[in-house]
Amino acid sequence: MTGPALRLLRPGLLVLGLVLLPLLLRPIVAAEVLIFAVAAMALNLLLGYTGMLSFGQATFFGMGAYAGGLVIRHWEASLWVSLLAGVVVGVGTAAVIGYLCIQRLGIYFIMLTFGFNQMFYFIAYKWTDVTGGEDGLPGIPRPPVTLGPLHLRLDSSEEYYVFVAVAFVLLFYAMKWIVESPLGLVCQSIRENPNRAAAVGYNVTLYKWIAFTVAGAFTGLAGVLYAMLFGIVPLDAISFITSGNIVFMALIGGIGNVYGPLLGAVALIWLSETVSVFWHRWPLILGLALIAVVLFLRGGLAEAFERVRTAVAAARLGRQAGAGKEAA
Amino acid sequence: MSLPLLVIALLNGLVTGVIYALIGVGLSVVLGLLNIPNFAHGVLYALGAYFLYAASQGPLGFWAGLPVALVGVALVGAAIEYLGVRRLYRVHPDYVLLLTFGLALVLTEVIIIVWGPVGITYRPPALLAGTVDLGITLYPKYRFAVMVVTGLLVLGCWLFVEKTKYGAIIRAGIEDKEMASALGINIGRVFTLSFAAGAGLAGLGGALMVPIHGLLPSMGIEILPFAFVVVVLGGLGSLPGAILAGLLVGVVQSLMTVLWAPAANASVFAMMALMLLVRPQGLLGHR
Repeated sequence: MTGPALRLLRPGLLVLGLVLLPLLLRPIVAAEVLIFAVAAMALNLLLGYTGMLSFGQATFFGMGAYAGGLVIRHWEASLWVSLLAGVVVGVGTAAVIGYLCIQRLGIYFIMLTFGFNQMFYFIAYKWTDVTGGEDGLPGIPRPPVTLGPLHLRLDSSEEYYVFVAVAFVLLFYAMKWIVESPLGLVCQSIRENPNRAAAVGYNVTLYKWIAFTVAGAFTGLAGVLYAMLFGIVPLDAISFITSGNIVFMALIGGIGNVYGPLLGAVALIWLSETVSVFWHRWPLILGLALIAVVLFLRGGLAEAFERVRTAVAAARLGRQAGAGKEAA
Repeated sequence: MSLPLLVIALLNGLVTGVIYALIGVGLSVVLGLLNIPNFAHGVLYALGAYFLYAASQGPLGFWAGLPVALVGVALVGAAIEYLGVRRLYRVHPDYVLLLTFGLALVLTEVIIIVWGPVGITYRPPALLAGTVDLGITLYPKYRFAVMVVTGLLVLGCWLFVEKTKYGAIIRAGIEDKEMASALGINIGRVFTLSFAAGAGLAGLGGALMVPIHGLLPSMGIEILPFAFVVVVLGGLGSLPGAILAGLLVGVVQSLMTVLWAPAANASVFAMMALMLLVRPQGLLGHR
């Protein structure tokens, strides 16, 4: 295959995948996959590219969802305003929480993100007037898409899937651009060796904070899309289980790879959809899957593909060598 | 707020505080030694509670439950270290964290499968039923007993680590694993035993709380963030720090419950945020 054709192969496969997804899963589930893929993509920026494992991404997911849900419910906000509300709240929360958490490194950082996640969970749980508490925040309609003369309704699952898919593609390329930009390269140098990055003259803390805040923007936006998906913000959206799901998607997809989060989201939600038919306790499956991946498949699905590809290539090479020998 | 109410809130805070300290001590040692945040620490606490519940159905009742919880959960901890965590010492600590998180989810589900999803209430043993008259107010005998016994236990753990030969080995392991290993210490065995001890203490903590709060499958995951706060507030590997922070978190939480209940839990995290800004290394931490 020639250069340009190869360059078009991956975007082509991505689009093909997005077309096939709602045919394989129900459109509403396919939309859920893409929404979580955005959140996992944001975590990938932190874990895969900057080397920070945030165990509290549900904070920004949930805050975005509540922000979007509340502006639609109380002010009948337009689609753009509600999405913006999610981004602003995601950025604001992540800027504050991130600033506090990056004061400590490694395991402390992880514990802090988890701790603050629980704090927001407790607040959402208790503040029932605003969040609905355990019952969730219901009654969130999907506002129509208005863009100049364009006026599209998103009432059906199919319409909403198309909207989410377009949003996903835009966010995917935005994230790809970020990780390949100078900012992304500095982040990767911090992941590889924070001391050396600092010695070269980069303000490591500042870059970590920027990465955390950018991830907050993506996650907050994903939260709004999630609120509109089922028309309700369940308390679970801000719980540590959601944080765990997001980490797991990034992990099983293979971290530090732009396609990993999408693969991970597909795998995890497909698994939960399939499993829930005969076993309704999802955390048990998630827990067992996590243990299995950590002990046996640390590179995630991306590595599994890689292993299969290497095996196939080796087999082909072996066949060619065998054929060569026979010819000689 | 009236004086009796204040006294009760303070005493309640000290009761939860010593339990937090007990859990924090185990978590802190494991954290310092193995360099992993043990997300399964909370569920080990819950497991201790349920072990006590199961064992106390027998003829000896509550009193058989306490050793069963301590030893049973310590064995579970040893198994987790030996079968899982040990295999991951050479890979990035993030994976160990995910392993313990996975275990936390699975063990919580196991509790639900075995004992059901509904909460269970539990009475204090006959010997410690009833109240003590403090002059200004009455206070349950059982809570007093927990406060005193757990307080002594926590103090014992501290003295063990500070004053004994085994404690010196643990401290050496926290300070520098390679060096300790080079000096002929079987560091692998230290890891397993410390993990088991930390788990056992968490299990005992959970068991002691059963007559106070009853049993609920989610009790483990609910206490975990507070255990993390205790360790962060106390400072890495600092046992006196963890003990002090445990008492502080317990008392603040309890007093806030009386002052403004909805913010009781959130205030604990606000305290952690404040500490990070003013003194990121924690109360008694060095690094």
